[in-house]
Amino acid sequence: MNGPTTIAMFQDAVLDPAKRAHYRLAWLSTVDHKRIAVLYMLTALVFFVIAGVEALFMRLQLAIPNNHFLAPDTFNQLFTMHGTTMIFLVVMPVTFGFVNYVLPLQIGARDMAFPRLNAFGFWCVPLGGILLHFSVLAGGAPAVGWFAYAPLSETPYAGWQGVDYWAIAIFVLGTGSISFAINVIATVLCLRAPGMTMRRLPLFTWINFVNAFIILAALPVLNAGLAMLLIDRQLEGHFFLPAHGGSAVLWQHIFWAFGHPEVYILALPAFGMVSEIIPVFSRKPIFGYEFVAASSVAIAVLSMGVWGHHMFTVGMGRPLDVFFAISSMLIAIPTGVKVLNWTATMLGGRIRFQVPMLFCIAFLIQFLIAGITGISHAIVPLDWQTKNSYFLVAHFHFVAVGAIVFAVLGGIQYWFPKMSGRMLSESLGKWTFWLMVIGFNLTFVIQHFLGLVGMPRRIYTYPDLPNWGWMNMLSTSGVFFMSASALVLVWNLAVSFFRGKIAGDNPWDAWTLEWATSSPPPHENFYALPPIRGRRPLWDIAHPDRPDTIVGPNTADVTLPDHNKTGILAFIFSEAGFFGILILSYLYFYAHPQPGPGPHGLDLKRTLLFSVCLFVSSFTFWRSEIALRHKRRGSMLGWLIFTIALGAVFLVGQVGEYWKLFQSGVEVSTNLFATAFFTLTGFHGLHVFIGLVALLIFLWLAWQGDFASGHGSAFEAAGYYWHFVDIVWVFVLFTVYILPLFQ
Amino acid sequence: MTTYQFFTTAWTWNSLVLILIVLAFVAYFVAFGQRGRPLYFGAAVAVFLLAFISPFSALADGYLFSAHMVQHILLVLIVPAFLLLSLPQSFSLRFPLNYLAHPLIGWVAGVGAMWLWHAPTLCNAAATSRMVSAIQTTSLLIMGSIFWWQVIAPRDEQRLSPLAGIVYLFTACTACSVLGIILTFAPVSICPVYQHPVDRLGMLSSIRGQWGLTSDRDQQIGGLLMWVPMCLIYVTAILAQLARWHSSPHPEQSNA
Repeated sequence: MNGPTTIAMFQDAVLDPAKRAHYRLAWLSTVDHKRIAVLYMLTALVFFVIAGVEALFMRLQLAIPNNHFLAPDTFNQLFTMHGTTMIFLVVMPVTFGFVNYVLPLQIGARDMAFPRLNAFGFWCVPLGGILLHFSVLAGGAPAVGWFAYAPLSETPYAGWQGVDYWAIAIFVLGTGSISFAINVIATVLCLRAPGMTMRRLPLFTWINFVNAFIILAALPVLNAGLAMLLIDRQLEGHFFLPAHGGSAVLWQHIFWAFGHPEVYILALPAFGMVSEIIPVFSRKPIFGYEFVAASSVAIAVLSMGVWGHHMFTVGMGRPLDVFFAISSMLIAIPTGVKVLNWTATMLGGRIRFQVPMLFCIAFLIQFLIAGITGISHAIVPLDWQTKNSYFLVAHFHFVAVGAIVFAVLGGIQYWFPKMSGRMLSESLGKWTFWLMVIGFNLTFVIQHFLGLVGMPRRIYTYPDLPNWGWMNMLSTSGVFFMSASALVLVWNLAVSFFRGKIAGDNPWDAWTLEWATSSPPPHENFYALPPIRGRRPLWDIAHPDRPDTIVGPNTADVTLPDHNKTGILAFIFSEAGFFGILILSYLYFYAHPQPGPGPHGLDLKRTLLFSVCLFVSSFTFWRSEIALRHKRRGSMLGWLIFTIALGAVFLVGQVGEYWKLFQSGVEVSTNLFATAFFTLTGFHGLHVFIGLVALLIFLWLAWQGDFASGHGSAFEAAGYYWHFVDIVWVFVLFTVYILPLFQ
Repeated sequence: MTTYQFFTTAWTWNSLVLILIVLAFVAYFVAFGQRGRPLYFGAAVAVFLLAFISPFSALADGYLFSAHMVQHILLVLIVPAFLLLSLPQSFSLRFPLNYLAHPLIGWVAGVGAMWLWHAPTLCNAAATSRMVSAIQTTSLLIMGSIFWWQVIAPRDEQRLSPLAGIVYLFTACTACSVLGIILTFAPVSICPVYQHPVDRLGMLSSIRGQWGLTSDRDQQIGGLLMWVPMCLIYVTAILAQLARWHSSPHPEQSNA
């Protein structure tokens, strides 16, 4: 076929949004935040059904003692897939969906800051989900738990490809989550409507803004760990294999350094929803906005430093236990502050007991129980007794279901009218609610007691001990109520979408900006924005006689930060975490030397020479930027080509070093030093390579005549990334090559 | 020496210290007179004394790495913070000191004060030589002051904006936590002096036996102190930034 014609047709059909809107593929190629949000939520719903059925099978297996409905290995696969799916493919996508839909509306923006990146982030979810589930066809699903503890997750103990698919899938999902977080940060900082200052952000937006930073800090840690696990499995590395000097406990540290913040990554969006719904249905502004906002920051910061309480049973030693116990108890303070604020908001309010509010009230009660059992795990001796029992299973399901899922269900009922233009049925919603309350509590309350009488978790069956039988049967019976609740919900969504009551712009008489536009909003979100002087613009319009007090100064005249630079800085923040983990792991193994090649065999002088090339390239890039600013096109191109050449020389130097090492028989699998060395320098080299590709693209664009106006924030943003890659090399150079000189 | 005897007798009062305190107060009142906030200055002096004449000081002096860490944290984060708070509103930095009031310099000073003095050679030297120890103390106070200037300088316009302040504090917290993590998990001694202390006070058997502080455990506690409680100081400062942000400025003034 004729090439140019094809391209023209392609552009005609796909790239022109006006024409594209008529195609059925419009939903697949969309970059509109509202459609992407709906895609996120529908994908989450599909995986919710899958993971729910997995849970149903597990509970059927555990309903009676000595059951042989499922084989032990199948059971292990089920609980691994159930946990992984619920966390990465249900709760994260559904909350991301809500944020995607509501957050730009709440700040009066037209879309997210990076619409294409937004689509990328979404499509990572189905890709990750398919990869994860493809493992079933490729020899069996992973059976190592969602935490994939080493060395169980290593080749000698999990030889089939399940764990590989698991790790790659989570890596893809983590990458998508990071891109989403970058987008949220850039959107909130750069795309706020005039008058919407940071202090006037609705709590849902503020909390998810804070949450984006937790995602940026935590997900790269997991990605670094997964990369190391994959190197162990695919290239015969030794990171987490104690038999070769590796450390299985290191995996736990890395996993929980991600895993505990992850709990808050899941929970904070739920807190955000509750913080919107409770005031609206209590007909009062939130009690202590500042405390809810600030306690979210406290949670975000503290959540990074409490992961050790997941590892009390590992035997970290008393000093670590004591410090982690104290820091874990502290995190209860900001969470407690929030519960107090929500309750105080309801106090004295004219509460409307409609479905969103019912879910929030149940959320409050169940989250309180979850918090109390959570605090009990900060008490080390109690933790030793209950950590590996059903008490813990009950605790985290109270967090994940009792708090998060309930808040999400409330959020669905609350925002569905905005998304579809039609109300969900209130009576069917109440059925969903009560079935869920009964089912959830039937299933999980009794599990606390099962744990306390000694039933361990992660077992496929159990002997017929006194009371265990009826308690498990009771727990299983609750699952049927929850399943019924889910069916009613899906039925409600389907029926209401076609035949629900027309919602109108603001069915709940709410106060934030998403209710100031039509339901569903037009493509560009708003035709005109109301004046924004405080945190409840719609209240001010409805009650001009007694408006809210004005919050903070108006900063409409202040220019918002550039979204390209903000985005790349957020990305650099996450990359710093990734390299931080790789460098710390390298140091850990450096301090435990193994027989075989070590850092002393490396050629320092040669590496220094090539390092100079890399460092000089930062300078040449800076010259290129200056030339761009002064509109000297030739000079800019020259310095840019020079930068690319220097970067390439550095890469050639790295390849030369690898070649020499390979020649002398040093490979990733040789010993721990080699594994850690190739991982750290290899990932850095990969980043240099990606940076070079980016610079080549910019070179091509500049060659074509872009940036002629003399300002290119995208060019400067690429520069930030290039400088960052150089700075990382300073640390790598010091850690790998210079540190051994001091011995 | 028993533990009780130790905590009652190991206070190293001496006339030089007392004279220095009196001189410090005199200098403070001469410099700032009525405008200063002497309570904060008193707090700074009190914490400084806690670090240097209490039994903690005796422990930090060659016995326990963890006690040294407490001293270190007090000198970098607590004393300079009180010193800056004690300054009058009218206080400004004059040339050339005003060049130190740059966020990057402040950040590097604050984080550098932690990292630099825990390089094994320097840490050892400070624990064995009085001279190096004095240099260390002075440098920690100065670097800590440069760090805190960005956050609690006397006047609002001298400080970072609250949200920038949070980024400043959070990144500093992370950088110090990383050091804390390295110290906690390091299999080798960061400050070998503390492995085999010279038993000047006859306390070693109590420390190792009764208190259960082996040298490994001691270093672990030292690392954890830098990792967890020190981060809590930063977290407190972050919350203070949020409080400052939400309380200022008054809407009526700026919205008219």
